[in-house]
Formats: sequence, structure tokens, C-alpha cells
Amino acid sequence: MGSVLALAGAGRQNWPFSSDTPHPQWDTPLPHWDTPPRWERRDGRLPNPGSFHALHHSCKDVFPQQIEGVKMIVNKTLSSFFKASHTFHLSAVSPSQYRFHVEHRQSDSHGKDTDSPVLIGEMDSSGSLNAHSLLHLSERIRAKAVFQTQQAQFMTWQFETEYRGNDFTAAVTMANPDVLRESVILVAHFLQSVCSGLVLGGELVYHRGRHEEGGILTLAGQYSGPNWVATLNAGKGGAHASYYHRANKQIQVGVEFEASTRTQETTASFGYQMELPEANMVFRGMVNSRCIIGGVLEKSLSPLPATLLMGAFVNHRGDKLQVGLGINVG
Amino acid sequence: MAGIEELSPAAGPVETRPPEGEIDEDEELDETILERLWGLTEMFPDTLRSAAEVTASGSVTVAKKLYSFSRAALWVGTTSFMILVLPVVFETERLQLEQQQLQQQRQILLGPNAGMSGGMPGLMPPAPVKM
Repeated sequence: MGSVLALAGAGRQNWPFSSDTPHPQWDTPLPHWDTPPRWERRDGRLPNPGSFHALHHSCKDVFPQQIEGVKMIVNKTLSSFFKASHTFHLSAVSPSQYRFHVEHRQSDSHGKDTDSPVLIGEMDSSGSLNAHSLLHLSERIRAKAVFQTQQAQFMTWQFETEYRGNDFTAAVTMANPDVLRESVILVAHFLQSVCSGLVLGGELVYHRGRHEEGGILTLAGQYSGPNWVATLNAGKGGAHASYYHRANKQIQVGVEFEASTRTQETTASFGYQMELPEANMVFRGMVNSRCIIGGVLEKSLSPLPATLLMGAFVNHRGDKLQVGLGINVG
Repeated sequence: MAGIEELSPAAGPVETRPPEGEIDEDEELDETILERLWGLTEMFPDTLRSAAEVTASGSVTVAKKLYSFSRAALWVGTTSFMILVLPVVFETERLQLEQQQLQQQRQILLGPNAGMSGGMPGLMPPAPVKM
């Protein structure tokens, strides 16, 4: 659902054995917008529900991200606003590439109100560009523009405006407006905190081309307890339900169920995350109803500012394996 | 019919298998032992024979399926355990061993009273106060 808008936040939409590479940097939300967690209340009033794309994030963060080949990421923090990173990716299934990523984002956060825009740019060794820009037009209104090109051709150009009220969020997105081809995709999101822990909302997608037009309505609801969150999206395009549970300080568990009418298939997944800060490691594992299992181990090599990632994904039904190794420096 | 007539002289000595006279004759028919044993089953009624055949073939099929299923299940189980559980087990074991080693080192360094981390080093036994 909403595949064009996948790049707006949820880079994990591409499940194992797809050819697209996810962009982990897009997943981190701006800290002062999405904290504190939804089940905490401020001053007895209902908290702001956050953005629509972030509804399933707490569950999706538990699942391991597919890694393939050898990847080395060198992060450099140039100042409190500027960060640059170089990524070298050697891969067996797709051409190897070098990627340069730079962001202008205020990194010291939580209490401060940030008026500075967030600009993120990423350039590929084959010439593909990925650019995000986020502007705070006022304290409650923010505007976002996303451009994505594949070498010299523009794949996505998307503009979004979001208004955050006291206990609701409303957003309108226009994706790929094309005057010459008379095609556009408009998406409207609305989320309202109904009572403590319960958030209800909906998404309306309207797409129009030269020969066809159509609309899809999806309703969403999220109920959170002290250490769990249950979310449901249901509409004509399919259903997506997820449950996240924090068992204790070390173990988090997520269960996800996805059904799509477009591809006529359903998938159920179970994932867990285990953190052992004394051993400097985080392990994420996943089991799928498509007979895919995967595990990713992240170990921080403690005196050095480096993290080692090792992961493997096995598809038992097709007897395929994807192994990945990664090093993040800085 | 000629075989029946010949039975009477052969019936003098008590024999457990009266048709053996026929069998001596039937050696000319070149039956193997298996075929003879199979021929014995023809004495059972047809329903029993068909039921036994169905049961036997069914159990052979079940055994084959069970064998292949257990092979596949063992493989899937082992590789899934290897990928999902083993790294965590390795890391926790390593952590435990490291902590044990540290504890041992501390014991050697600070004397046997300093057992756990955070224990006060060098406790002297209380001297007798009463004089």
C-alpha cells in the first residue's frame, strides 16, 4: 500500500530477496517530533499521535534489515549540523556502488525547538540522486520535498505538507505531479488521539492518469499499553496488522501480518530483538510464513568507534541464502 | 487326476504335508521358493488379502514420507537454530566466561574475601575486643 510513498519514511517496506536497497538513514525520525513514546501523556492532555508513516515503526524496528554483500560505512560529523558519510557496497546480486551522503540536520535535540531546515542528499556512483528537504514553516506546519532520480531520469518527486495539532496530525502529499502526462497521486492522512493510548485515523489515496483514476481509503487504528503497541491498517488495498511487545529491558518482540489484494498474498512474520549492552551487541532475528528466516548481529567493537554487522537470510523453500557483512565506522 | 491316484501309496508313511507328493511332481514347473510361499497366501479370503495389501503399501508410503519429512525437518531446524539462536548463545557464553575470569583475577589479587564485584577489599577478621 502506498508504494510510492515508501521512501517518505519506512525504508523497510522491501522485504527479503527484493532488489531494492533500503535506506537506513531515512528511518530515523526527527527526535523532537516523535518522542516521547506514544503511551506517555503530557500534562494530562492527549499527546500528538505522530506521523502516519510512523505507525508501524515500533514493530518494524524489531525486524532485522536485509544485508547482502560487504558494506562499509564511514561516518564523519563535521559540526553539530553537518554530517557526511561514505558507503562502499560490494554486492553479489546487484552492481557494486559507492554512495555519498550528506545531511544538514540539527543533531542536539530533544528540548530545543529547531527552526533550521533538514536537508539530506545522497549521490550514487552511477549518478542517482536522492534528496530530502524538510522545512518548518511554523511551529506546527512543516513541508517536505523528496526527489529521487535513477541516473538521469526522475523517478519520484513528491511534496508533502503536515500540520501537527495538539492531539491530531493532518498531512497532504502530492506525488509525481506531471502536467504533460496529466497524472498525479494525491494522498491525505489524518490521525487523531481519541483517548489515552488510542489513536484512530485514515489515509485516502487518489491517483489519476490520462486514462484512469481511482481512490483507495484505508482506516488505521493504534492502541498502546504500557509496554506494548498494537496497530491495524485496513482498507480495500489490503490489511496490515502489527503487534509490538517489550518483554524486559533486553528483549523486544514484534509480530506482523500483511495481506494485500493487489498481489493476492498474505504474510505473517515474527521478529525479536535482543540487546546485551554488557556484551556490546544487538541481535535481531526473524521468521516468516514464506519460509524465510534471518538474523543480524550487531557488535560494537568497544574501544574503537566501529560497529560490525553480520547477517544471513535463508529462504528454505527456494533454498537460497544471502549473507552480508558490514562495518560502520564513526 | 493322476496325482490323486498316486497319493494313496504315498499316504502310507505319515506326512505332515500331503501335497508334497504334488510338490515332487511340481518341481518340473520351476517354481521358486518365493513363488511357493506366495502361493500359500491364496488360502486366505480375498478381503483379508486386499486389506493386508493396502495396509502394507500404505505403511511403506507412510514410512517413506516420515523419513523424508524428518530429514527435511532436521535440516531446517538445525540451520534455523544456527542462524537465529547460536550467535546469541556464543555471545552470552563469552560474556559469562569473561566475567568469571575477571572475578577469578580479582580473587587472586585482593584475597579470597573479595568475591563479588563491589565487595570491599581486604576485610580483616574482627580482633577480639574483650580484654
